[in-house]
Amino acid sequence: MFHKTELQSGVNLYTRQTAQFKTVSVAIKFTAPLTEENAAARTVLANVLEDSSAHYPTRTKLRQALEELYGAVYYTDTSKRGNEHIFTIYAESVNEEYLRNPEMPVFEQLLTLVTESLFKPNLKDDLFDEAIVEREKQTVIDRIGSIYNDKTRFANKRMLELIRSGQPASLSASGTEKAVAAITKESLKATYDQMLSDDTIDIYILGDVDVDQLTDRAKTLFPFTKGTRKSVPVTVSKMSEEVPTAKHIRERQEMKQGKLNMAFSTPVGFKHPDYPKMQMMNGVLGGFAHSKLFINVREKESLAYYCSSSYASHYGLLYIMSGIDAEQEEKTAALIDQQIEALRNGDISDLEIRQTLALLSNSIRSSFDSAKGQIEIYDQYKLLDENFSSDKLIEKWERVTKEDIQEMAALLTKEITYLLSGREAMDHE
Amino acid sequence: MNKIHFDQLQETLYHQKLENGLNVYVLPKEGFSKTYVTFTTKYGSVDRTFIPRGGKELVTVPDGIAHFLEHKMFEKEDGDVFQQFSENAAAANAFTSFTRTSYLFSSTSELYENTKTLLDFVQQPYFTEKTVEKEKGIIAQEITMYDDQADWRQYFGTIENLFENHPVRIDIAGTVETIQDITAEHLYECYETFYHPSNMVFFAVGNVNPEEMMKFVEQDQQAKSFEVPEPVVRSFPNEPDYAAKKRSELYMDVSKPKLMVGTKCRNTDMSGKDMLIRELASDVTLDILFGRSSDFFTQAYNEGLIDESFAYEFNLENGFGFAAIGSDTEKPDELEKLIKRVLDDAKNNWSITDEQLERIRKKRIGLFMRALNSPEYIANQFTHYNFNEMNLFDVVPVLEGLTTDQLKAAYDDLYYEDGQTIMTIYPSEQSK
Repeated sequence: MFHKTELQSGVNLYTRQTAQFKTVSVAIKFTAPLTEENAAARTVLANVLEDSSAHYPTRTKLRQALEELYGAVYYTDTSKRGNEHIFTIYAESVNEEYLRNPEMPVFEQLLTLVTESLFKPNLKDDLFDEAIVEREKQTVIDRIGSIYNDKTRFANKRMLELIRSGQPASLSASGTEKAVAAITKESLKATYDQMLSDDTIDIYILGDVDVDQLTDRAKTLFPFTKGTRKSVPVTVSKMSEEVPTAKHIRERQEMKQGKLNMAFSTPVGFKHPDYPKMQMMNGVLGGFAHSKLFINVREKESLAYYCSSSYASHYGLLYIMSGIDAEQEEKTAALIDQQIEALRNGDISDLEIRQTLALLSNSIRSSFDSAKGQIEIYDQYKLLDENFSSDKLIEKWERVTKEDIQEMAALLTKEITYLLSGREAMDHE
Repeated sequence: MNKIHFDQLQETLYHQKLENGLNVYVLPKEGFSKTYVTFTTKYGSVDRTFIPRGGKELVTVPDGIAHFLEHKMFEKEDGDVFQQFSENAAAANAFTSFTRTSYLFSSTSELYENTKTLLDFVQQPYFTEKTVEKEKGIIAQEITMYDDQADWRQYFGTIENLFENHPVRIDIAGTVETIQDITAEHLYECYETFYHPSNMVFFAVGNVNPEEMMKFVEQDQQAKSFEVPEPVVRSFPNEPDYAAKKRSELYMDVSKPKLMVGTKCRNTDMSGKDMLIRELASDVTLDILFGRSSDFFTQAYNEGLIDESFAYEFNLENGFGFAAIGSDTEKPDELEKLIKRVLDDAKNNWSITDEQLERIRKKRIGLFMRALNSPEYIANQFTHYNFNEMNLFDVVPVLEGLTTDQLKAAYDDLYYEDGQTIMTIYPSEQSK
């Protein structure tokens, strides 16, 4: 779907000419190993680059320039995938074809703004401005702290820390407050230089534009220095040899609902040949409104408003999350266990398999109906197949049998049951 | 069938009003895989006092009933409607707002099977005391989930402060207590009153053939029998032009205090183009005063009064309207003073320039064009506008024609003496 051009070793351009959208989008993705320090430094850098540039030296000037470009979007973001840390610059503008007075080529101007912000940042004496760096450090620290206010996310984060402490699975893409606090304007410049010279880089351009012309200009538009850019080696998170005894942890906060979560490990990760089977198993278990968890925990027993499972394939983990009355913890946990047991016993109907296949297929096809969706899905699946298409993946799901699902369920090892609640009496256990 | 082409946007909208009063709209989008279909009734949480269909007297129903009804529409005698949608590869959902209840699906295949399921399940109610009782536990957990969300509590707390009588002050889902009073009989009463096709809009957007879809819906509706259309009689209490409560506070388990300033809109008995001008003029004014390129934003961000959570919004429906401006902040008192100062300055010393208006006008036009990439946005926003006799596709021409006088007029009705409230959430003792 995207056309790939290698600009140099480790720097690739992916283009797609399409009239589907009224916009033109560009994304630049920098990939480096995920560590606490890397995550913190690159997230602060993301904020600092988004703030201003040499050409637009204040936040206000940069924002006004974007408004003049018909509210063009320009932002930076960080995320993680397995043991990789990904720094993304994303920009999007309206295709001038739809504007009444296209007095200027909007996307061209946006592209200039984006590349300038990246290659000619707002530096003083070859360093970032201290006031901006300090302020953005605080912003990132606040962002890390704000997860506390969202009890659903907080419960999942705590659970991961309890089973994968210090490992990529539990690290935040923003790093830790401590690692952010340690950043200086000097260290941040080193982070910036290293990112430009050492990271592997994927550039995406998508929209109704002359992609050949852009490809010809790409080396000038993106003058990355030639260097040795090594992709991050994939390491599957290590599990201890012996089957761990499942932990059972309860924690308290001042809250009304109880968050009952579970985590299971699985040897099947994103690059494992059985990956599509595990996706199907997760769908039958708890990915949808026809899934066993929704039907039994919510619809039949009225225990929860949400009870679902999600498969974190890059970490070999499967989570179950539910929001319940904490008094119903034992009953709900037993019911969840029963659903997994049912899968292991082959209690899986043809209907459940058909429904799951149908909704997985619908979901991947639908995700191509947004520019960002096309970029993000392709960016992930190109790791498996550069000629990735949704039909190829759907074909693999179609081949999954009841026995496959049964086998996948048998590969789940429960590592933890975790309850976060305001429950008063924590008497037993 | 009417065909309306929007030249600048390169979109064509198809419309037909059926015999039973249902308005059907179809907007094909080339290159899209999915079709997004919504079936929406003009019935939301504020519609709590009305004359039931066939009745003579006003009745008031328990709080949270529109949302409860939305949940119960999915359960039928032969099982759950989600099962059918899943089998035909559609992701289905529904939502209830202050003024609308919308049922929807999105699919990349089996479009007509799914459309049939949507039309049938919304037009064939099935409520029993047993199924109603069963739902109470599920909705109680939904309400409890929101009770733990500080942003949600603050937003609804602000609205509750602003309005003295208008039912917009009541939580959309009601409370764990009020939903206990809901019976199957209530649900039928609300259903019969508000789910008549003449009170509803059907919208399909994406990968769809307009002629085929129009014909399909028409034939489906012709094969069903409906009562004659009757206007719905709703009753709303009088609402004064001042905030019911000047301020309120709440202690929750949060990492940082949260401040929200609410301001109430007056003279909201409007619809059509006037309403669209009012809405867009208010949006643009708030953008100029509080947007990312504003003096306010620069000062507040540099002084550490706001962080990434800073946001503002404006909401307008026939009969009520408000703006909310808020952020997580270590210095709620200072932030409150600064927001108040910006609002006062704009009132006492109106100084919005043509240059500012031009810039934000461009930004808003671009924002709208980008939003047209999204079938979800088109369907939901179109329906919201349609229920207020506005047209989504007038947004660009109205933006192009906006004047600073229109901004000033909108602001006079948005910010005036005694129309404001402050809602603050502080970290409770236990929180660190």
